[in-house]
Amino acid sequence: MPSHDILHMELNFPSDHIALSTKNLEVIYADGARAVKGISLSIPKKATTAIIGPSGCGKSTALRAFNRMNELIPGTVTKGEVLFHSRNIYAPSIDPVTVRTNIGMVFQKPNPFPKSIYENIAWAARIHGHKGNCDELVESCLRKAALWDEVKDKLRRSAMSLSGGQQQRLCIARTLALTPEVILMDEPTSALDPLSTASIEELTSELKKDYTIIIVTHNLQQAGRISDMTAFMLLGDLIEYAPTKKLFVNPEDERTERYITGRFG
Amino acid sequence: MQNPGFDIDIAELDELMLLLASKAEEAVQKASHALKTQDIDLCGAVKTNDSIIDRLQLSIDDKVIEIIATRQPVASDLRKLLSVMKLASDFERAADYAVHLAKATKLFLNEPQWRQLEKIMQMADMGAAMIHGTAQAYKIRSSALARQTAQLDDQIDHIHKSLLQETLLFLRQYPEEAERATRIIILSGHLERLGDHMTNACEAIVFMVEGIHADLNE
Ligand SMILES: Nc1ncnc2c1ncn2[C@@H]1O[C@H](COP(=O)(O)OP(=O)(O)O)[C@@H](O)[C@H]1O
Ligand SMILES: [Mg+2]
Repeated sequence: MPSHDILHMELNFPSDHIALSTKNLEVIYADGARAVKGISLSIPKKATTAIIGPSGCGKSTALRAFNRMNELIPGTVTKGEVLFHSRNIYAPSIDPVTVRTNIGMVFQKPNPFPKSIYENIAWAARIHGHKGNCDELVESCLRKAALWDEVKDKLRRSAMSLSGGQQQRLCIARTLALTPEVILMDEPTSALDPLSTASIEELTSELKKDYTIIIVTHNLQQAGRISDMTAFMLLGDLIEYAPTKKLFVNPEDERTERYITGRFG
Repeated sequence: MQNPGFDIDIAELDELMLLLASKAEEAVQKASHALKTQDIDLCGAVKTNDSIIDRLQLSIDDKVIEIIATRQPVASDLRKLLSVMKLASDFERAADYAVHLAKATKLFLNEPQWRQLEKIMQMADMGAAMIHGTAQAYKIRSSALARQTAQLDDQIDHIHKSLLQETLLFLRQYPEEAERATRIIILSGHLERLGDHMTNACEAIVFMVEGIHADLNE
């Protein structure tokens, strides 16, 4: 494909290439604030999609809406649809716990349980009704999270003894143990130093071979480095959603241009 | 976010760029004039000017590299920087052709009756006009002016073709004039290339402004 075509690629994913899509997704907090104002977009499978935008524009709220996490905040109302395997995850027949298993979340601050490295992952297996020995599962999740080599000799040590970057990879391993299809990450590297950040970024490019990743980041260079698609939000609206290459070279919307070139406001 | 000071950096680049363009334009004009008036001193001035042009191009490259390394520009900022690098190299090449043109002065000293030189000077004037138009289009960020400027290349190509035919005929008639005739052909080729470089530069300006790869070489 000649390069000028990449820049003007249409967003026509075949439906079997879509992991998740939203239709007029709206989130209103208890105080009446409309943090997400009706966004519609389709997230491609086995790819990384970044959500960028200024602080407070609704990135985290939108991300939490993708796996019904906002319901844990009392009084929050969600409207519109989030389609996952052609079903609206907000339909009354759907169990939110199952949703959160299939669509996992990794948070900004690494939050391992104050237990051993091993137990952090075995916990997930137990949730799945697994009894007894979980060695294989623990090893495979730690390998997928690119942490195995660093911790294989100290699995019984406290997770809290790990570095920030290692703790974050442990949290990712723990999410993987629930065998999700989609992994949501909310600024997963903002509490990490550049080297740990690089290891998480590298990990996302490995993981997207098997999983769909949606990552909120305030680091534009990070979005540019690791994502295939980028969504730009502003004041609860989705302003532009395009292949990352296109958005960072020739954005359509003047507001996107101003934001990514640092001339916003 | 990376912005503070970025626009100042760009303004600095603009200044270097417009200086480079005006030096290149001046070089072509002076070379053409040297040939016309058989002015060997002026021919020397074009050569001296060329090392300044080379240095200007290098400082533009350095500045662009510095901005990319420290600011990680994107979108129109990134397109601007890449276009600037291309433009600077195209202007530098244009000035090189001016040096070749100036150097021919010696060969045609006391030979003012060469009709073909008229056409060479015509091409040089158009080349200078293209440099001017390109610089102006860059200065005011106008893809329309860039497209318009690129059209001048057709006229240069046209003169080049007819000059080539004419000179080949001449060469058959006067084989003893092979050296000068060959030089005319070479110079005509250089000026044709100069037009191509300015067309490329105009395409870079369209990319800078609109983000599309236009083919202005039609
Ligand atoms: N629990 C909450 N209750 C009320 N308002 C909230 C709550 N959480 C976030 N908000 C508001 O919603 C808007 C979007 O917040 P958020 O999704 O966290 O933005 P971002 O992640 O882009 O920084 C902000 O105005 C914020 O103040
Ligand atoms: Mg947030």
